[in-house]
Amino acid sequence: MKFGSLLCALAALLLFSVCRVDGQKRTDVYAIVNARIVTVAGPPIEKGTVVVRDGLIESVTADGAAAKIPADARVIDGAGLTVYPGFIDALTNLALPAPQPAPVPQRGQTAPPPTGPVSNSNYPTGLQPEVSAAEQLKGGDAQFETVRANGFTTALTVPRDGIFNGRSALIDLAGDAVSDFVVKTPVAEHFTFRTGPFGVYPSSLMGTFAAFRQMLLDAKRLAEWRKLYAANPKGLKRPDADRSLEALFPVVDGTLPVVFNANTEREIVRVLDLVKEFRLNAMIAGGQEAWKVAARLKEQNVAVLLSLNFPRRTAAASPDADPEDLETLRFRAETPKCAARLAQAGVRFAFQSGGLANPADFFANAAKTTENGLSTEAALRAMTLDTARLFGVDNVTGSIEAGKIANLTVVRGDIFAKERTITHVFVDGRLFEPKEKPKTPTAPNSNAPAVANVGGNYSITVEIPGQSVGGTLALTQQGALLTGTLTTDHTGSAPIRDGKVTSDGFSFAATVDFGGSQIELDVTGKVAGDRISGTIATPQGAIPFSGTKNP
Amino acid sequence: MKRVVCFLLILVSGLLSPAFLLGQDKREVLIRNATVLTAAKGVLENTDILIQNGKIAKIGKNLKAAAGAEVIDATGKFVSPGIIDCHSHSMLDAINEGTFAVTSMTNMRDVLNPKDIAIYRALAGGVTTANLLHGSANAIGGLNTVVKFKWGKPVEDFPIPDAPPGIKFALGENPKRTHFPALPNQSPRYPRTRMGVMETIRDAFVRARDYKKSWDDYRAGKTRIPPRKDLELEPLVEILEGKRLVHSHGYRADELLNLLLIADEFGFRVATLQHGLEAYKIAPEIAKRGTGVSIFSDYWGYKLEAYDSIPYNAAILWKAGVVVSINSDSDERMRRLNLDAAKVEKYGGVPEEEALKMITLNAAKQLGIDKRTGSIEVGKDADLVVWNAHPFSVYARPELTMIEGEVYFDRSKDIERRAALEKERQELEKLDVNKSNNTTAPRLPSEKRQAERDDAEYH
Repeated sequence: MKFGSLLCALAALLLFSVCRVDGQKRTDVYAIVNARIVTVAGPPIEKGTVVVRDGLIESVTADGAAAKIPADARVIDGAGLTVYPGFIDALTNLALPAPQPAPVPQRGQTAPPPTGPVSNSNYPTGLQPEVSAAEQLKGGDAQFETVRANGFTTALTVPRDGIFNGRSALIDLAGDAVSDFVVKTPVAEHFTFRTGPFGVYPSSLMGTFAAFRQMLLDAKRLAEWRKLYAANPKGLKRPDADRSLEALFPVVDGTLPVVFNANTEREIVRVLDLVKEFRLNAMIAGGQEAWKVAARLKEQNVAVLLSLNFPRRTAAASPDADPEDLETLRFRAETPKCAARLAQAGVRFAFQSGGLANPADFFANAAKTTENGLSTEAALRAMTLDTARLFGVDNVTGSIEAGKIANLTVVRGDIFAKERTITHVFVDGRLFEPKEKPKTPTAPNSNAPAVANVGGNYSITVEIPGQSVGGTLALTQQGALLTGTLTTDHTGSAPIRDGKVTSDGFSFAATVDFGGSQIELDVTGKVAGDRISGTIATPQGAIPFSGTKNP
Repeated sequence: MKRVVCFLLILVSGLLSPAFLLGQDKREVLIRNATVLTAAKGVLENTDILIQNGKIAKIGKNLKAAAGAEVIDATGKFVSPGIIDCHSHSMLDAINEGTFAVTSMTNMRDVLNPKDIAIYRALAGGVTTANLLHGSANAIGGLNTVVKFKWGKPVEDFPIPDAPPGIKFALGENPKRTHFPALPNQSPRYPRTRMGVMETIRDAFVRARDYKKSWDDYRAGKTRIPPRKDLELEPLVEILEGKRLVHSHGYRADELLNLLLIADEFGFRVATLQHGLEAYKIAPEIAKRGTGVSIFSDYWGYKLEAYDSIPYNAAILWKAGVVVSINSDSDERMRRLNLDAAKVEKYGGVPEEEALKMITLNAAKQLGIDKRTGSIEVGKDADLVVWNAHPFSVYARPELTMIEGEVYFDRSKDIERRAALEKERQELEKLDVNKSNNTTAPRLPSEKRQAERDDAEYH
């Protein structure tokens, strides 16, 4: 018995080392036959064959033409199936580590030194355009399973933090090593109109604008100085080695696009003004009111990474509540019509999930754009070829053409239909067969894992070093989704964002106003009976809180 | 078919925007038979005002308008210049950059919100123009923007293009107390005393002078590396060159005078002292320097440094020859500046026209826009308010507010429109996305009443 298990272990080891020494990835050959093929590059092929070999699409043929099925291919009967190019999510944080809360300084202690590598930049945390998603990506295939099972093969992934968020990477959603899945890096520089950590410039929206301008001006000057120095260094002070500014050189000269997060009309207008001022190569991410400024977007050739996370009312109707303002009601009604209006105005756009909790809603909401005037062809392009084109990779992916990367999503039924099943997903030619039927919007949360029950109104005490601050936490739970309001005596009331409930607790983010500064909070906690407890991660450190449920 | 529906929706939403509903004809408007309070050349009874292309073309009796001109019968009504609020934080998405003592790199132009409902309410109170200032958390604050309240227009139409640029300064409690040592190990921000505030300002101008020299040297070929273009110091150089107006928040007479002395030292003029509750104590010193004062008419005592004021402040300053304006610093009080001006007549006997000037022409002078607005004179912008009664009456309310000949508030049309808006609301509330399917607690009233914030934090 012992010997047997030892043998097994040896065999496994041997196999493993063979694989590693060999160093080759699996090279499977597949032929999907008798399938409807939506190539996106041209008209759909009603019945045809796609052959995949060595991670690439080898051939695409319509039946009737002599479709050669290679002898070494695994044949997949595509009867009743539709093959789409692998779907691309134009903005995610996939494969990036979760933000780390800063350590808590104790009263009387000096602040701990900053963690991580010491930057040779002159700019504070938050203004770090040199951050690169590609350098932060973590390996591991399992992290992609859920999104892949919903039909995505590719995603832009963007560093989460800061004002200058850093540079994004386009990744294919398969592979254990980071080197396996990066398609292109950097794709763009990303900018969010946030404020700095509490008490650190910029702490206001206009400060954020000023900081952006000053950095671009500084980058221009450094580039000029470098040029002077390279031509003749004699008698010149040596130029600064500032990696933040160096990262902005391609932004300043327009070779790298900047993606600005901007959702409302006025946010987008502000971006368009900046784009004009600095003659930037730019895109908008979010863009749910972009249709209101479609003419300017077109004129300035600014594309939109349009969020499909459509707004809906979350607050309860109550006798105490004032009616919502008309602009809000209109905004929710208009958002699904945005894509069609952008298409009509000739504005380039691609769909992004915008932080949707359920990846299946991406397709349900894309279907809503087609119900609101967008052609299904345009909607398909906005999650395949047009996206690839915006990111400069349309020569390698985004459509079903021989020679392109074998990223394919195979669906029983139409991708925009309510009833659909993702049967096969090819990422870089690797076949994944989703085990369970992915969630469809008709049955939300049917497959949701068991989650804790945390909803309710809580009176809480926040233990800031040296003092206790009272407050309330109103949590509304819908399956794994959490919404609500965080109120404390010091910060007033703020809605919570990105609220999630897991099997043993909850987490959410909130932006609160503290003495005129906007502070970002990340809150995690647990509920046991009537007791709630957890931690609020602030830019200054983690603060514990606890409380009880109000009857 | 879907496209047609879509197009119709765009059309309908366009129709619902206020500017369209209120009419956009800019060519010719005739206001007939009004009592005209010119704020420059007295009161004219039974007088017509002819407006062509947004400008006041003629003022007189029995004027003729071209065929097709819009005619407004103002019989029994009063027409005043549009009110100018020389100190406002309306339509701003952010007010204070509180981290540094000098934040002249920030610009309020970047954070305008043209959809702020406070704009429409201000129009309903006869306000057409406002000086949008950075907050008072810093000795030297951000750059201001002077706008006309063109509600419904894109944001780029709001700033007055030829208004001289300006900047906010602040003295006293606000800049010295903005240090928020809220968490352990956080250093409080310098300055924390009144002398520190003065030192901060003097230091900034010394730096600005050095900065200007570095550029002068570079341009003269004395240095080869281009100096850093410094967004903090550029505006201060403009102040030294007399190209940028300083609007300084301050209360105590000693401090206000200290600022005037720093300005003397560096050779610039302070355009306005904002609030200036003790300005009456140094009226001759202010008048001598041609500095304006923009005050509340009778509001003080809301903090220690704001105690020693009197309702005669405006009258004393006016008698000393100072250009005085009355401001609101509040979305809410902005809507009844006419009554604040009336109080000046009551306290100290400032003549009616001079009191009216304090919310119109004088504010325009302080902002350097008096060539185009602030009074009813031929050649100026037709920024006008039609009142049902004399604006200094407590019964007065604007019937119509126009900017450059375009109507932006019309009381009768506002009332007419309410039914349509209510219907639209009902339709929208029926939509699934607007239904309340969840049970998150409703927003607290404190989240919504922005006006409440004004008093406590920003004076």
